[in-house]
Amino acid sequence: MDLTHSAEQLELGAVARSLFTRECPTSLVRRLREPGSDGLAPTLWQALASAGIFGIPFEEKYGGAGAGQYELGLVFEQAGRALCPTIVYSTMVFGLGVARLGGDQLKSRYLPDLVEGRLRASHATWNPSNAADLRPRLSALRVADGWLLSGRLLFVQNAQAVDVLMVTARTSVHREPQRTYGFLIQPGGAGWLARALMTIAHDQQSEVVLSDYFVADDAVLTGPDGTGLAEGDLAWLANSAIALQCMEMVGGTAAVIEQTVAYTKVREQFGRPIGSFQAVQHLVADMRIALDAARLTATQAAWWTGRGEIANRAVAIAKMKCNEAYKWATLNCHQLQGGMGYVLDTDLHLWSSRAKLTELQGGTTDTAALWLERESGLI
Amino acid sequence: MNFELDAAQSVWRDEVRAFLRENVTPELLAEVGEHRTTLLGGEVAAFRKKIGAKGWFGLNWPAEFGGMGLGPIYQHILMDEFEYWGVQGPDLTVTSVAPMIMRHGTQQNREQFLPPIARGEVRYAVGYSEPNAGTDLASLKTRAELDGEEWVINGSKIWNSQAHVATHEWLCVRTDPEAPKHRGISVIIVPIDTPGVEVRPLITWADYRTNETFFTDVRVPRTNLIGQLNEGWQYITGALSLERGALTNAGDFRRHVDELKELVRLPLEDGTRPVDNAEVRRAIAQLDADVEAAVLMGLEAASLLEIGEMPTITVTVAKVFTSELRQRIADVGTRIFGLAGALSTADPAAPAAGRYEKLYRNAPLMRFGAGTNEVLRDVIAQRGYTMPRLGR
Ligand SMILES: Cc1cc2nc3c(=O)[nH]c(=O)nc-3n(C[C@H](O)[C@H](O)[C@H](O)COP(=O)(O)OP(=O)(O)OC[C@H]3O[C@@H](n4cnc5c(N)ncnc54)[C@H](O)[C@@H]3O)c2cc1C
Repeated sequence: MDLTHSAEQLELGAVARSLFTRECPTSLVRRLREPGSDGLAPTLWQALASAGIFGIPFEEKYGGAGAGQYELGLVFEQAGRALCPTIVYSTMVFGLGVARLGGDQLKSRYLPDLVEGRLRASHATWNPSNAADLRPRLSALRVADGWLLSGRLLFVQNAQAVDVLMVTARTSVHREPQRTYGFLIQPGGAGWLARALMTIAHDQQSEVVLSDYFVADDAVLTGPDGTGLAEGDLAWLANSAIALQCMEMVGGTAAVIEQTVAYTKVREQFGRPIGSFQAVQHLVADMRIALDAARLTATQAAWWTGRGEIANRAVAIAKMKCNEAYKWATLNCHQLQGGMGYVLDTDLHLWSSRAKLTELQGGTTDTAALWLERESGLI
Repeated sequence: MNFELDAAQSVWRDEVRAFLRENVTPELLAEVGEHRTTLLGGEVAAFRKKIGAKGWFGLNWPAEFGGMGLGPIYQHILMDEFEYWGVQGPDLTVTSVAPMIMRHGTQQNREQFLPPIARGEVRYAVGYSEPNAGTDLASLKTRAELDGEEWVINGSKIWNSQAHVATHEWLCVRTDPEAPKHRGISVIIVPIDTPGVEVRPLITWADYRTNETFFTDVRVPRTNLIGQLNEGWQYITGALSLERGALTNAGDFRRHVDELKELVRLPLEDGTRPVDNAEVRRAIAQLDADVEAAVLMGLEAASLLEIGEMPTITVTVAKVFTSELRQRIADVGTRIFGLAGALSTADPAAPAAGRYEKLYRNAPLMRFGAGTNEVLRDVIAQRGYTMPRLGR
């Protein structure tokens, strides 16, 4: 037991932090929110690739650093501070999915490219409103050399900008039991229809409708013995994604608190910095208390999922704590920054919008509490 | 004690309701929702004209000024209904500016400025806040100096809402820089089209437009000073602002809760209905109870005014409570629909047409604006319970 970071972990966090500070300024964040933006950030992307960030969790034989998924969480925390574009997250979660669910052939096809920064990707293998709901939204019909996918997916991140998307579908084959298979599909082409969704965070999310969309056999994840993906593996992937998102939320929470504290030290009313008022300090202290709860539970969830565990309990608790910490930190920071923090010209709203989005993404506090109740045998 | 409207009050409420049912159209609401509109188009203007024809712009004016002289309870009922329907009724020009002119203005002020307000020809922007005078409003610096028969004004105002659509500025200025800060402030009326006034937009997180307004050697007649020189602070913080506070109530909150009760019965994308979740029902029940309390706070303030008492603490309690409740309503309204709650007004698939997503972005303002809650909590403790003050 040791809840402190090693020198290497601290170093990684510091490197990631300065990289995002340099390559992901809010001017970039704003540009990516503009209508019509594709959500790509080529310069940042290149910098991440050069720094070896994309390879962190993957095996060395696919070009990765084999450094561990927990270390990726440390990077997500710094990414969250800087409001890193979501395509970085969706690509990494796709990679984790391929690494866990794919055979050697698919791993060799995708992971080296991903590690080198040549692949952008996303995923839709759980209910975006409830990460514990793994029921596929698509159906797969057997045809010669492949499958036809049909159905509707909501809130697919970066669907229209990526090279490849991991989805799950329920197979229906005559005289065979229904199975859940994974499919690695290229956006676009016959049977693909996507509509951009307008969210509070202006992030890149789409509704995707597939109608008899063809996928060849060599892009199908059939599970260890061909009888379908194991529910446990899909649950692990969803939980890993939530744990990483919680790390992102921790970074965002810390960032808004620090920015706001800095503001209260220079903003004067009644002849003194507003930060000197006890009421202001108490709000700051409450945000810090919530941040620590979020940070500890998020790092715990990232650590256990990083070790390959499903970690339902740790993930549920992290989501509950991070949802509320991030959201209320942004709202309380609006309170402390007053009019100045409330206009589009200043940056706070960029985090406030992201906080609300991430709160709802994967599961609200109530939803995550249900995961915990189930895990505890209460229901 | 009586928790029921009496017969006359019910008739009044029904009259207001009938008017709103008839005149609040989807077209009007669409225009109201378009906050960035620089000049309000036909719908709002036509609606305002109808309110004017009813005489409701003068709802709180004494009869001697051509108003209806309605008592606080009647005013409360009207404002509450307007809020429920999501439209602006009598605005600050008639509920705040005009009564201040009546109470504190000179005879000439009244004759000059009141009739155009009564006729609905003018609209005032309220220019109090400055970049360095927010919560500490009394430190405002915009300067007015007398030059012969004219005031010469220099300085700037921020968060000057409506200035881009207003005809006049109700401007708080410093007229005696030597005096203690509360004693050197006056109120001067400035037509917006006076040379030297420049209005620049500021857009908020809620897409709402407010403004920064600059005054450079702006000259207005000496007689545009309201009431007495250097008495402005009393005017803007006095009894009137309390009375106005008592009018702000929770009509829109009641509407939100009523609407949420309906919306949660509709199936979501995955076929489930929010209402089948115990925690959703509980969240709405909590809001319902809080909104009830907020409504009663407003009614208590109106009742105290009715019997001639100043509801200082009631209004302060209500402001803190309602502004924080608004944030909770917006939070619940965005989280009971799953991720779809993140869809904005711009997305056709947004639950409730994105109203809660918008409310979520709107709500922070009321917590720090018009008296920040931290200071108001001091007021509740220090004036409500005469607790010692640390000094500010
Ligand atoms: C959209 C919008 C519209 C507005 N419309 C108008 C308008 O039409 N006319 C007008 O005159 N003004 C208007 N305002 C201004 C509004 O009333 C001010 O924003 C408000 O008074 C707070 O001032 P500030 O923003 O400078 O915050 P600050 O005064 O800087 O305060 C920020 C925070 O500091 C803390 N704080 C400050 N002082 C204390 C204290 N003594 N004790 C404890 N904590 C403290 C509080 O948490 C406070 O919320 C508007 C503002 C906005 C954003």
